[in-house]
Amino acid sequence: MTERGGFEGLDSCVHCGFCLQACPTFLATGDEADSPRGRIELMRALEAGELAPNDPGVALHLDRCLGCRGCEPVCPSGVSYGRGLEASRALLAERRGTPPLVRAALAALTGTGGDMRATRLVYALARALRATGVPGKLAGWGRLRFAFGMLAATAPKDGGRRWRSVEVGGGRPRANLHRLPPPSMTSPVLLFRGCVMQGLFPHVHAATVRTLEVNGYAVRDAPGQVCCGALHAHAGLRGEARRLARANVAAFGAGGDADDAPPLIVVNSAGCGAMLKEYGHLLHDESDGVGQRFAARVRDVTELLAERGPRPGAPIDATVAYDPPCHLLHAQRIAAPPEQVLRAIPVLRVISTPDAAQCCGSAGLFTLVEPEMSRAVLQPKLASLAQARPQMIVTGNPGCVMQIGAGLAAAGSPIAVRHPVELLDESYRAAGYYA
Amino acid sequence: MTRDGRSLIAALAGIVGARHVRTALPERITYARDGLPTHRRVPGVVVLPGSRDEVIAIVRLLAALGVPFVPRGAGTGLSGGALADADAVLVVLTRLNRILRIDPRNHLAVVEPGVVNVRLSAAAAPDGLLYSPDPSSQTACTIGGNVAENAGGPHCLKYGVTATHVLALEVVLADGQVVELGSLSGEPWGPDLVGLFVGSEGNFGIATRITVRLLPIPRAVRTLLADFAALRTAGEAVSAVIASGIVPAALEMMDQSCIRAVEDSVYAAGYPRDAAAVLLLELDGAQESAVAADAETIAGILHAHGARSVTVAADAKQRERLWQGRKKAFGAMGRLSRDLVVQDAVVPRSALPDVLETIARIAGAYGLTVSNVFHAGDGNLHPNISFDGRVPGLKARVDEASGEIMAACIAAGGTITGEHGVGLDKLRYMPLLFDGDALAAMRAVRRVFDPEERVNPGKVVPVHACREWVGSVNAERGTRNARADVRSDFRVPTSALET
Amino acid sequence: MSLVDRVRALLGDDAVDVAATHDGVPRVAPASPDAVALLLGTAREEGWHVRIEGAGSWLPTDAPVDLALTTRRLDHVPAIEPQDLAATVEAGIGCDLLRQQLADRGTWLALDPPGLAGRSLGSVVATATAGPLRQGFGSVRDHLLGVTFVTGDGRLVQSGGRVMKNVAGYDLTKLAAGGFGAFGVIVLVHLRLRALPRADQTLVLEGSREELAQVSEDIAAAAVQPAAHELMSPALARRERWLLAVRFAGSAALVSAEETALRAATGGGGRFTPLRADEAHALWMRAAESFATRPVTFRIGGLPDSSDELLDLLQHQVGDEWISASPGVGAIRWGGETTVDRLRRLRRSLAGLEVPLTLERASWPVRAAVGHFGAYREGVGPLVAGLRRTFDPAEAFVVAVEGAE
Ligand SMILES: Cc1cc2nc3c(=O)[nH]c(=O)nc-3n(C[C@H](O)[C@H](O)[C@H](O)COP(=O)(O)OP(=O)(O)OC[C@H]3O[C@@H](n4cnc5c(N)ncnc54)[C@H](O)[C@@H]3O)c2cc1C
Ligand code: SF4
Ligand code: SF4
Repeated sequence: MTERGGFEGLDSCVHCGFCLQACPTFLATGDEADSPRGRIELMRALEAGELAPNDPGVALHLDRCLGCRGCEPVCPSGVSYGRGLEASRALLAERRGTPPLVRAALAALTGTGGDMRATRLVYALARALRATGVPGKLAGWGRLRFAFGMLAATAPKDGGRRWRSVEVGGGRPRANLHRLPPPSMTSPVLLFRGCVMQGLFPHVHAATVRTLEVNGYAVRDAPGQVCCGALHAHAGLRGEARRLARANVAAFGAGGDADDAPPLIVVNSAGCGAMLKEYGHLLHDESDGVGQRFAARVRDVTELLAERGPRPGAPIDATVAYDPPCHLLHAQRIAAPPEQVLRAIPVLRVISTPDAAQCCGSAGLFTLVEPEMSRAVLQPKLASLAQARPQMIVTGNPGCVMQIGAGLAAAGSPIAVRHPVELLDESYRAAGYYA
Repeated sequence: MTRDGRSLIAALAGIVGARHVRTALPERITYARDGLPTHRRVPGVVVLPGSRDEVIAIVRLLAALGVPFVPRGAGTGLSGGALADADAVLVVLTRLNRILRIDPRNHLAVVEPGVVNVRLSAAAAPDGLLYSPDPSSQTACTIGGNVAENAGGPHCLKYGVTATHVLALEVVLADGQVVELGSLSGEPWGPDLVGLFVGSEGNFGIATRITVRLLPIPRAVRTLLADFAALRTAGEAVSAVIASGIVPAALEMMDQSCIRAVEDSVYAAGYPRDAAAVLLLELDGAQESAVAADAETIAGILHAHGARSVTVAADAKQRERLWQGRKKAFGAMGRLSRDLVVQDAVVPRSALPDVLETIARIAGAYGLTVSNVFHAGDGNLHPNISFDGRVPGLKARVDEASGEIMAACIAAGGTITGEHGVGLDKLRYMPLLFDGDALAAMRAVRRVFDPEERVNPGKVVPVHACREWVGSVNAERGTRNARADVRSDFRVPTSALET
Repeated sequence: MSLVDRVRALLGDDAVDVAATHDGVPRVAPASPDAVALLLGTAREEGWHVRIEGAGSWLPTDAPVDLALTTRRLDHVPAIEPQDLAATVEAGIGCDLLRQQLADRGTWLALDPPGLAGRSLGSVVATATAGPLRQGFGSVRDHLLGVTFVTGDGRLVQSGGRVMKNVAGYDLTKLAAGGFGAFGVIVLVHLRLRALPRADQTLVLEGSREELAQVSEDIAAAAVQPAAHELMSPALARRERWLLAVRFAGSAALVSAEETALRAATGGGGRFTPLRADEAHALWMRAAESFATRPVTFRIGGLPDSSDELLDLLQHQVGDEWISASPGVGAIRWGGETTVDRLRRLRRSLAGLEVPLTLERASWPVRAAVGHFGAYREGVGPLVAGLRRTFDPAEAFVVAVEGAE
């Protein structure tokens, strides 16, 4: 940790206001206190001790920040908003403790305290409930019904009912079109599993493994890995986040052969990826920059795929809207790779709505603890999606899949939300790569 | 908080709903600055109306109670204009952000004041039109704020500042009366009160509806980047371009320290880091061949006046990148130092080379860093001084140097502000430019619109420097204004000034 | 002491011309802005009523007053800066003289106001009368960088300056431009100039009003950006039928490209006839001067898509003999003979369409009855009254700003 805990990242703010229109919460309320610039003002006052961390006026507006970091890439001064926010939330958490709802959610979803048994049970129950199809039917706008919608949105979808794969070249044997790379040319990578991804999106992990293999990566497991700690850090629980980070550094530590460079770490959740890439900052004071070295190895799955092309699959005749997750676009500044992945699917039409780059309001636990703001932020996105009428929405973060999915379900829209590798996977399957 | 304060808050909440009234200290603190962080004032109450009717109701309430108020747009102003004191209510207009009408046939649009500048152009683009005034802050600032400041921008060189493009206004006066100024055609009904209101910095009331002219998106555009080994040569090249008679759509200059700040930012545009200065020029028009010919001529002039290289943007993407770098340059200054003093002098264009040198000399004498990024074609300088306010005594030195720079600009036949307005920040320079009569005339005009000086008090005109204005006449008529007595009915204003 | 003696004592013998005016009002010609201030300061003390005159060629010099103040000796040109494309000139200078001086320095004021060639610049500013060039270069206020004026109680107020942009303080220049002298005597004007165009081409097309209206639409819809685009009535153009005159000014490349675009937009071929330089000059000059010869002139501010409807209305209510219209802008200037009643009726009809009518010139009785501006919109009257009282507390200036309605 740096001397000022991340507050120093706010120093360069010149109050120009360029970030205002990039901030979904400011757009929702028009209130400076809900804007990045206003929050920076609050955080500076916090650091200076001018405002107390238990002042409800401070907490309200810092809590209402999505942490989407949409304000960062537009800032000409290079303000590190996210770091300042985490530092402030740490102060807040220290002073007022962590709200019970957050505690409970963290325990249920990430297995705080290292006890994954309860968490496994939670996810198993959730999957069982999901399988009944009931949550989907109950989806709506209320707190609980929205949660049902979110759960329903995690279900593996098979696109077959909504669109068709196109036959190419009059049905040539597809397997002949493509050939897998020889094993000698494959590079080993380690899969970061995470908690929500592992609990509710195992099908995305499977698709990740398969599509990476087609593109010449050998995916291995890293036993002993734990939650990335993102939700903890956002909640101001820095200590826990650091503990988790250390555990992950250890789990992924050696990985490769002793004298080789350790293998890359692949992650398919934008939120986890952003956190893993922050380990350098989080573990700043650990010996010889372990955090830094760990962070340098982290890659989003779309980055790895894009590096190899990726290999084209079979056509899918559909129109999809790509919605970049904030933690991919803003936090990791990854814009092109996901689109390159989608372009590997012939015929697929990828559209982008005008406000695609804006947060959907999911933001980790935000959707649970700040439902009102979260829905207000989601509304404009739903409206522009309704106008663009894609057949499907593609986004690479579990939270966004659930948030947008639940919003669409509540609005009565049949449009499904999926992870880009799922789509690529389907295309590869149709192309016969897995035959 | 006093009883009065509480009942004021309750009454405001009755108009806009409690969630749109902000009273907690932290919330008010977020409104304590505008785009010029060197000034800080914490407002007493912040209210965020959601409609014009709510604005009117708020203003009437405040008139009845005699409470001062300050309109605020996006708070990107660079003169401390949108700041309110503890005894005043800040009326924030960001929620009035609807584009009410775009009329493609007559090239005009009607908007609410909180519409963000760039969003109007985006909305007009499908009709082949744009809103021409393009302050560098256009992705953030509101059209209401632009009207109040008479904002300029790079493309105002050819197309004129905000005043040229505002046709009509609906204004809520200090007493809550609503007046309509101007007409859709721009021909005023009477004296040009629209022209008078534009640039009045919120002192004449709140603009609640704004009718602006739209222009066709030019079909032919050339964007040129010229780089120079010395600031002076770049200044001379500007004069040469102006004297050529070709009016570029825009002609901007950035010096080395500014270039480097931009190149270090996410808006890196590919400006040469080793250049002492670059000029960014744009030529546009309806006719491709004519624009191409002008571009050739201009490139020739630039070469002849010492440009090391002149490059033409190859496509729309590169043009956009070159412009983004320029427009975000001010924001990028945060990279140089914690604190920043922003200046806005205008000098005759032929004086640029000398004035630039003078500024550098003054900065040198005070041991300060000045970065120049400015609308060179208009002679509108922005010498920005970066410094660290934590260093004891430094701020005083910066202020002194600023004063000297300003004096040099005035001596060259210039003015103290070209587009940012006087606000709080330049009050101290006003007497350098205007005599007591001119200042008193301004104050008297303000009192015609706002006899109690309740809207955005303490800005623009340094009251102490005004000469008395026709006091005896008013004594005769017995219509002297009493500042303390507050009535909500509109009084025919008088020209009296308190002495 | 008589008024004349008083003024002589104040400004010197040669400042007063007793016999010059047809109504016997002594005409005073101060030789400097300070002299104007001195005179008006005294006027306020003495309670004199004053009318402001320039060259006396535009507005009839017939307002009932104690003395006429003419700016004709304020004809100096302190600065023309071709490098800066700016000039500072005294307000009494004739437009023709100024134009010549500017041209000698390679510069141009892109204003072609109606009236005789020697009309004073101050009168153009005070009445905000722009001509056909408003299509390409905007109205009068767009050419002003600043003005200095003397208030009714003799204070010299400066506003704006000689730089291109200026937001220091409120923009009193806008009040002076088009204020019809109600707020003060404009003594000094800072102008924004343009380089003298290398090429200047006018093309004309004759036809029925309807035909030409269609052509105008085509021009507006196409990428043509003329400096002027004017529809003139037959009498004004001295032609058999209506005339559409299109003027391009700028570099040779620009003018030829625009001309090509014009032809492409209007059906190609040889429909438009190019005029020789002397023919073009004659056309525009004659049109401008004609308005100074009619008893009444007014302008109305419509919108491009209502131009046709407004021309019909004019034809119906006051006749359309002398008309010059900019269909691309929506502005129309009318000249001719008409009555107070008709003007009032027309103004009412126009107000119903949200179109303002500004009376530019007429004899004093008509001006006094109709007013330059007529009735104001709700709430504006007190503002204008307040501004007038601010700048002319003793009501020294006799100006028919509002009508007597
Ligand atoms: C990075 C940066 C670049 C800039 N570049 C330029 C530039 O190129 N050109 C330029 O001209 N300016 C520029 N500015 C200054 C600023 O953006 C403009 O002055 C802008 O017009 C302010 O708009 P705003 O909505 O932020 O107004 P605010 O700052 O909120 O308010 C400015 C003033 O307007 C008044 N006001 C606001 N709304 C209304 C209303 N509806 N009715 C009456 N009064 C109102 C306020 O009281 C205040 O006095 C820049 C600022 C920044 C930070
Ligand atoms: S864009 Fe950056 S510098 Fe500007 S106000 Fe926002 S955080 Fe501050
Ligand atoms: S992180 Fe997102 S919600 Fe928070 S201030 Fe930045 S843009 Fe706004």
